[in-house]
Amino acid sequence: MALTKEELTLLADKAYQARRDVVDITGWSGGAHIGGGLSVVDMLIILYYKYMKVDPKNPDWEDRDRLILSKGHAGVAYAPVLARKGYFDFELLKGFNKFKSPFGMHLDGNKVRGVDASTGSLGHGLPIAVGMALGARLQKKSWRTYCILGDGECNEGSVWEAAMAAAHFKLTNLVTFVDRNKLMIDGATEEIMNLEPFADKWKAFGFIVKEIDGHDFNALADAIEYAHAEKSGPVLILANTAKGKGVEFMENQVKWHYGGLDSELLESARNSLDKAYGRV
Amino acid sequence: MAEGLSWTVYDADTLTQAEIYGQVLCDLGKMRPDIVGLSADLAKSTKIGKFQDHFPDRFFNVGIAEQNLFGVAAGLAKSGLLPFVSTMAAFTAMRAAEQVRTDICYQNLNVKIIATHGGASFGQAGTTHHCTEDIAIMRSFANMTVIVPADGIETANAVKQCVDWPGPVYIRIGRGFEPRYYDNEEYGFRIGKAVELAPGTDITLICCGITVFHAMEAAKILKENDGLSVRVLNMHTIKPLDTEAVLKAVTETRRVIVFEEHNRIGGLGSAVAEVIADNGKGCAFKRVGIPDCYCEVGYPEDLYTHYKLDADGILETVREVMNMDFEEDEDWEDEV
Amino acid sequence: MATERELMASRIFLRAVLPVIRVLLEDDPKIKKRFENVKADVQFVARDPAGDVGACLVFDNGSFTVVQGVVEKPDIAFVFGSVASMNAMFAGKPALPRIRGIFKVGLLIKVMTILLALKILMPNARPKDPAQKRLKVKMTFYMITTAMSQYNKGGDPEMAEWTGKQPERIYQITVDDEIAAYLRVKAGKTKAGRGTFTKRRPFIHLKFNGVEGAMPVVLNDVDMITAIREGYLSIEGSPEYGRDFGDFMMRIQNLIT
Repeated sequence: MALTKEELTLLADKAYQARRDVVDITGWSGGAHIGGGLSVVDMLIILYYKYMKVDPKNPDWEDRDRLILSKGHAGVAYAPVLARKGYFDFELLKGFNKFKSPFGMHLDGNKVRGVDASTGSLGHGLPIAVGMALGARLQKKSWRTYCILGDGECNEGSVWEAAMAAAHFKLTNLVTFVDRNKLMIDGATEEIMNLEPFADKWKAFGFIVKEIDGHDFNALADAIEYAHAEKSGPVLILANTAKGKGVEFMENQVKWHYGGLDSELLESARNSLDKAYGRV
Repeated sequence: MAEGLSWTVYDADTLTQAEIYGQVLCDLGKMRPDIVGLSADLAKSTKIGKFQDHFPDRFFNVGIAEQNLFGVAAGLAKSGLLPFVSTMAAFTAMRAAEQVRTDICYQNLNVKIIATHGGASFGQAGTTHHCTEDIAIMRSFANMTVIVPADGIETANAVKQCVDWPGPVYIRIGRGFEPRYYDNEEYGFRIGKAVELAPGTDITLICCGITVFHAMEAAKILKENDGLSVRVLNMHTIKPLDTEAVLKAVTETRRVIVFEEHNRIGGLGSAVAEVIADNGKGCAFKRVGIPDCYCEVGYPEDLYTHYKLDADGILETVREVMNMDFEEDEDWEDEV
Repeated sequence: MATERELMASRIFLRAVLPVIRVLLEDDPKIKKRFENVKADVQFVARDPAGDVGACLVFDNGSFTVVQGVVEKPDIAFVFGSVASMNAMFAGKPALPRIRGIFKVGLLIKVMTILLALKILMPNARPKDPAQKRLKVKMTFYMITTAMSQYNKGGDPEMAEWTGKQPERIYQITVDDEIAAYLRVKAGKTKAGRGTFTKRRPFIHLKFNGVEGAMPVVLNDVDMITAIREGYLSIEGSPEYGRDFGDFMMRIQNLIT
């Protein structure tokens, strides 16, 4: 179902806010995974503002939908989204990376409200998500599990072990995304460890694959609703994205996987976002 | 004056001091055609990337797949090559623990592992990327040699010597921004032999890794301010441990404190305690490290302060053990 | 009424910039000679309803000190209508103080030459002569370390938070055997020093490749990363704290230019 004009405006506003937050946090924290944080924002926004049944006042609510950010290093994007959604005070993020903060590169699920699993070590998220989905089904619960992976992360064998299991157990209450920004630390994914034909691999492992533009809210909406409706097996949403999306000097740049920003680049990044969202 | 310093993961290449060992590896690579390098999408972060630049055909990046990484390393070693594998300590010692033990140690293969970001040196990344258990895990694998160098120069020495050292070797280093202790490589580094950095008779500090630098700072202050004669041992090789140096310290100074960027359980402290107990000796003894917990998030320098592994913390611990008071330098006027 | 920002800027000028006149007096042979036999008090003061702000340069036959505050009977006094206009003068912008003692022409001329010489600290001053380059580098680093300490002592909240949480740490800048300066930080307290701090190894060490390595960085011709890559400078220590150090330096620079 197509999104209404109001919904699109809301989502765009939230996405703009989230991207501004990512840039700001990168500034005061001394450095963050800004590239991969910016590429995953739109997926997080549409999930938290349209599809996920959650209650920020009640993060342990039994029947909530779960999100596992398997690409845990995008914590710099996830944390502000949770904060703005009402899980905790945004001001706490000023301590990002600082001593004793619950917020570092990888969010600590023991300490941060709203985080369903402590990820960071790649390849751990999907297996955990599979376990959650199985648990939901066994207990006849209707809540869903969403899992967002990085594409480089799919080098990890444990991802494919979990994929096999998800298909084997026909986990239709699990919706899996891959943030396909095509870059990792040492270079492009296709140069370091070739993933293509990527969609075919997921299909071979038993998933139905929906390949879309990961920054298009309408496409995301269609894909998610398709996943909700599909009864034959798990769905993979292959979201094509740009690492560093929204900040011109970072887009599709390998080196901005992780970095720090001084006052001047911070301003440049903010201006770039303002321009991208027509806020000049 | 220059800008505030904006940097990305690629600039880390230029900034760190870990490049010393990268260069050594290249020099070795020229002399030994059987040396090959491997990493798991961390070639640039671990400095083995320098080897890759010089010998691209002899370098294998398996992508983010550590279990595969060590399995492949084992295979390469079996085919007659000398693999140097580099990835983060957490993934080496835990994610691929079984491959390291069963494929490499059990089959006693000549694989040299350079594990980076050991201890809490990747502070901001949080527990998933810390490794305060690796010394404990690695020394429990038979056939494994475990080295924790004090700085980039010592790492270079360790890399050079492990080429001819038989069997698997685990060299654990930090993130590359650690303070440099040594001025050059000519101080008589030998695998398995502790280096006595300061002679002393009142108390011995046995250290490895970054605590070496900080202990020497503390020892200097203790000597000048408190008149204490402090012995500092750089115990870079945890396995095989230099038991002779430990026993000498026990009998000659009767007080031993061990400092390490590792859980108090199972690391250097435990190794030293084992020697003391095995030999039926008694002495004032303390192990200082991460107190059996998962470290906080924070910049590593702040974590070292918090867990009392920096000079100030070491000073405090020594003074406590020696029951002493001290005077602070309270001159805070700017020099004009 | 002067604003917080104006008061901080004046603090930097009076307590960090003026004192480096000593370097000119010691290292520049012409200026040294000119002031050999000068015995005079030269006051700079800005009128402000909350209390006058100023400092006095005390020349005493070759020796030199800066006394903060206002002295009784200065030989010359530059009196500004506001803190902002005094700051403007120190920043090299036009400002018209009233000058008391204006008839002491000889002394006045000498003082003006010193003030002009201070312009070597400005970002657009590009000396070609090696001795002048040396002066600029030395004065800049002495000034900036003192400025950082004063920024902290002046109570800038972000700086205070930054120094407040740190155990004893030394931030050292070294250019060569002769030119070095440091900032000692501990639990909210700071001390700027000239030369190399010997009681402890530095926590952050900016090592410049001599005056030639320092100049491009001081002039802002290259950013730090490029400077490191080109071999002008190497930085040892935590990049996060190094960045903070650099960022505060940048902020102070922006405050006084």
